Amino acid sequence: MLTVRNLTFGYDKKRPVLQGVDLLLPDGQIGVLLGKNGAGKSTLFKCLLGLVKGQGQIVLDDKDLGKMRPRERATLIGYVPQDISFGDLTVSDSVMTGRLSTMHAFCSPEDRRAADEAIRLLGLEEVRDHEVSKLSGGERQKVAVARALAADPQLLVFDEPTGNLDIANERLVLSLAKNIANERGISVLIAVHNLQFAFSAGDVFYMMKDGVIAHQGGWEIVNEETILDTYGIHAQVVQINNKRSIVYEE
Amino acid sequence: MKWAQKLKSDKRLQWAIVGCLAILVIVLFFVCLFVGSAQMSVKDCFDALAGKSTPAFNRIIHNIRLPRVIAALVAGAGLAIAGLIMQTTLGNSMASPGTLGVSNAAVFGANLSMIAFAGGFLTVGKNLSDAIKGVNPFAVSALAFAFAIGSVLLILGLSRIRHFGSNTIVLAGIALGAVWTAGTTLLQFYATDVGISAAVVWSFGDLGRATMTQDYILIGVVGASFVAFWLLSWRYNALLGGDSVAKSVGVNVTALRLCSLLLASLITAVCVSFLGVIGFVGIICPHVVKRLLGSNHVVTIPASLLTGSLLLLTADALSRTVGGGSALPVGAITSLLGAPFFLVMLLSAKERR
Repeated sequence: MLTVRNLTFGYDKKRPVLQGVDLLLPDGQIGVLLGKNGAGKSTLFKCLLGLVKGQGQIVLDDKDLGKMRPRERATLIGYVPQDISFGDLTVSDSVMTGRLSTMHAFCSPEDRRAADEAIRLLGLEEVRDHEVSKLSGGERQKVAVARALAADPQLLVFDEPTGNLDIANERLVLSLAKNIANERGISVLIAVHNLQFAFSAGDVFYMMKDGVIAHQGGWEIVNEETILDTYGIHAQVVQINNKRSIVYEE
Repeated sequence: MKWAQKLKSDKRLQWAIVGCLAILVIVLFFVCLFVGSAQMSVKDCFDALAGKSTPAFNRIIHNIRLPRVIAALVAGAGLAIAGLIMQTTLGNSMASPGTLGVSNAAVFGANLSMIAFAGGFLTVGKNLSDAIKGVNPFAVSALAFAFAIGSVLLILGLSRIRHFGSNTIVLAGIALGAVWTAGTTLLQFYATDVGISAAVVWSFGDLGRATMTQDYILIGVVGASFVAFWLLSWRYNALLGGDSVAKSVGVNVTALRLCSLLLASLITAVCVSFLGVIGFVGIICPHVVKRLLGSNHVVTIPASLLTGSLLLLTADALSRTVGGGSALPVGAITSLLGAPFFLVMLLSAKERR
């Protein structure tokens, strides 16, 4: 369970970006973070990952992340950036960098076993000796997920994973995230812009506005009113064949 | 599997290549020891190495050739790993050991010592005709080193206070380097013809200047830096994925960058102040290694180290044999030797889109 309580942060003191974020994400569920550009989604992620230090409490499975050293925290949270590039590093070496938080100076057999397991889980065996930079967008996304999973984290954070992907790879990321959450019981937090993707993926929804989470709950909280409030646009949520879809008004 | 790909992924093959490089370096080390203007046979050289030859030969090996060859071995190694670490920590493939303006600062310091102090316009009772006589090699090295380290500390200090990103560090290095070069130009403008020739010759880069004491210092600095860099290999690998990715696995990116840049610049400062400017080793060797063996620093750090030694030893051997008695500037040879090879390599590789 991830619990964030009254998290505040600002790059300069006069303009806080996060103004008291409260968030609850149960184990094995996918949380979807929605909001306009500049609402504070990326900053919230940076606080979770420890890239910047905010005020407030971030607790993951009874452990207070704020009091942890960066390496300790890194064993609990895996980060999947929007795109990944590792120079000429091969897929297996790139995935191995995900073990850095648990590694001594050089990788042990245990590290190798864990990295191999992550590579197998994502079906990357065939390209394990290829350079990451020469892979397709979808394969790179898989490498990013494998790298994040290599340390066996309890929370996986996806930062706008569909930004550079075509529809097929978007579905691929979706199924990866669902498998990870369902089969491994890892909580997954995804920041996205695509509401359609959000409906397909999310168990819990957070709609962020001006540095706070304005609406939080199941899919029903994403409706005409909250979309207008969060994005300032008119849209309707409709159900087709028991699946939710979004229709934007002209 | 294609060879190029196999080289970048097969760990055993990579270590075999590192082993071959090490053997080549050892062989070349002895070849360089045997090459010189004094007509000495291989047996003479081995005897002299053990101190059992004629006093003259013993002196040639112990006082002239050994310090020079050790300097080539260690400085080449040091400049190559310094270049590799600069490129990785600054995320810039054009970075070289002198990126932070270290070389320019060292040249300014040396010029200051030779032109302004040694019988120059800052000394009492100018001795224009015999300036070179007043040049104290120790003072030249000391002043060169002081300016080089001062320059690095200034940039890294500023970057710490103002939280510079890697690009800003590079730009600040270029700017500060330009200031030192301008200072050197002004000094040379006021120099006597003897002073200016001393300064220009100094800046050529000459392995023959090295003494055993300087070699010990070089070995200490390069050896310690190599161990530190190698132990941090996986952190550098993570840094290839960008700052956020590295931070997300617990790397203290700011500390890693500052310490690495400081060590790499220290290597450069020591090399330049003892031997003068030896260009290109620090930029070409890491690139050749990365093109062939990929980017995993566990392998590229020792491989660059050995390639650097190899290039500088080869350049040293050539500069002694081609020059016909007088050694050509080794810095020019490294570039003449390395640049065409590098160009061929760039042209033969398929351009990535």
